Amino acid sequence: MSPGTRGVLVSGATTPLGVAVVTAILAAGKGPVIAVGLEAPAAVRGLLPEQAEYHQVDLLHARQMRQLLFGRVRAAGIQAVVHLAMHRRASDQGDHVHRLNVETTRQLLRLAEHHPSVRRFLLCSTSAVYLARHDTPDLVREDWSLDLSPQAPQWLRDRVEADITVCARMGLAPIHVNVLRLAEILAADMGSQLFDYLSSRVCLRPLGYDPILNLLSLEDAAAAWVLALDAPEQGVFNIPGADTLPLSRAIRLWGRDDVPVPGPLLGPLYALRRAVRRTDFQYAINQRRFHFNGVLDGRRAASVLGYRPLHALTWPCPDCRPTAASPGSGGHLGP
Amino acid sequence: MPSVRELRERLDRRLDPRAHRPLLPPRPTMAHLARRLLPDELFDRAMATTIRDDGHGYDPFGMHRGGVAMGLVVTRFLYERYFRVSSHGIEHIPPTGPVILAANHSGTLPLDAMMIWTDVVRRAAGGRVPRVVMDHFVPSLPWVSILFTGGGGFGGSRGNFHALLDAGELIIVFPEGTPGIGKPFSERYQLRPFREGFAELAIRHQVTVVPVGVVGAEEQWPQLTRIEGIHAFGAPYLPVPATPLPLPVHYHLWYGPPIPVAGRWRPEDAYDADAVGVLAGETQEAVAALLARGLAARAGVFR
Repeated sequence: MSPGTRGVLVSGATTPLGVAVVTAILAAGKGPVIAVGLEAPAAVRGLLPEQAEYHQVDLLHARQMRQLLFGRVRAAGIQAVVHLAMHRRASDQGDHVHRLNVETTRQLLRLAEHHPSVRRFLLCSTSAVYLARHDTPDLVREDWSLDLSPQAPQWLRDRVEADITVCARMGLAPIHVNVLRLAEILAADMGSQLFDYLSSRVCLRPLGYDPILNLLSLEDAAAAWVLALDAPEQGVFNIPGADTLPLSRAIRLWGRDDVPVPGPLLGPLYALRRAVRRTDFQYAINQRRFHFNGVLDGRRAASVLGYRPLHALTWPCPDCRPTAASPGSGGHLGP
Repeated sequence: MPSVRELRERLDRRLDPRAHRPLLPPRPTMAHLARRLLPDELFDRAMATTIRDDGHGYDPFGMHRGGVAMGLVVTRFLYERYFRVSSHGIEHIPPTGPVILAANHSGTLPLDAMMIWTDVVRRAAGGRVPRVVMDHFVPSLPWVSILFTGGGGFGGSRGNFHALLDAGELIIVFPEGTPGIGKPFSERYQLRPFREGFAELAIRHQVTVVPVGVVGAEEQWPQLTRIEGIHAFGAPYLPVPATPLPLPVHYHLWYGPPIPVAGRWRPEDAYDADAVGVLAGETQEAVAALLARGLAARAGVFR
């Protein structure tokens, strides 16, 4: 029997990350797991492991949330809440989205603090919350400034607010509080801006810039959550991935054509794409990170949690390296 | 209404590699270009350099072997023909472990940094690539940022210093800072007061400091004046040089014996202003002594 935390409530359990986390928690012997999603049970049948107990709950309804926590969660003796639920589409805006992203987080944390069995609350945050600019360190530590710009899109402002809301309770709440800031998970249905960007056959990027990205696989993300369930310290942990590469190379490995374009044109071009094709990628969210490096520094997660990224992404077009042999080059030379 | 599973499968189909072939041919990489432009010996040296490969041949700062090779391409003419760099005492650079190279700074444009970088890559033991601190505005410059980071440049934030020294890297710093590179011709080889940030880092990380005296750069590009009100790309000022190109002075790089830190100070002494001041002062004296030695030894500015 595994020591440490036993019994986990996972919100947002029907996302790819949620499924991976639920599966990993059960595999680690930290069950039972109560998985929460918005979808009807029939729609997610077969998606989650059979051992997971699925509940259809709209987190925007306080009564449903309360009934779950002080009903089934209490009866099952759940000790940790892993909050993964966030509105994924950047194009959706308004009070409804804000309530899910921020108010639900606040409410869930408040209920967890008063819960008889819950001892830990863990929030899924993102590397996007960090302020990206020309003087940002290439390796971003947990204490780097967050992007508090009032001009930032709601998608970003909500994530920063939810992150800060939870961080503000660290040390004050009677439970153990952690925030995991994950590098971008390049997968479908994850709200990944980069995934949507790469869904075009031609990917435009700023001329003269080729920033370094760090991407996280679902396997590593799930492993990080399992480790975080037994975190000996409260606080924030950066969770970097095993893929560190420039944007141009990511485009190529995804099987896309990389076309550099003068930076000022990118905003209007991608706004047009969004309007015509109803895509989700917003250049305003990504403008700075398409210019400047910003890789999460995972040393704290390594030393405190024992986390190390081990699983690289499976690239759709691994033989599409930009380093294909050219005449007289002597074959593959590297970047 | 499709189920989540159906939606997931639909999205997975979009990832089918057969549907994802790029239409455009691959562009040649820096490594390919450098392969054609460098002699075998230099190219092989670049390819044998030690870098932290995070999976795709890049380190988190953007350095990669192709970038190092391209750096050697860019600096080759300047190093071999234009400035005819002579190197003295490079064996003082330890082949492994964190090191700070502290040099005098001058010459209107940071060509001295490029020459030290080239000299270390071409001649130092251990396949080391020195990391050069870039001013904060450099990452904003198109293409320049790609070239510099590919060769080991990094933005001069404190977090970057800590990460690189923790990783055992070799860092070039110019403790005189901007006042050094902008000093008038009449004040050449008169060191500006050394800033103490590098000394604090050296003590905190227990890093050896190797002083470097750059002889020649101080005469390479006399400045007529500088325009303080123009900040192109965030540069602190716009220099107005006396000649359209730098003068073909003869560079002499003098590396001094390492100044030990471990054993003299503990990491917590980084908070002791006196300790930091002592190390900064010792380094400045060592650089000044190397400059005096280099100036006495050279036959002339261009020889």
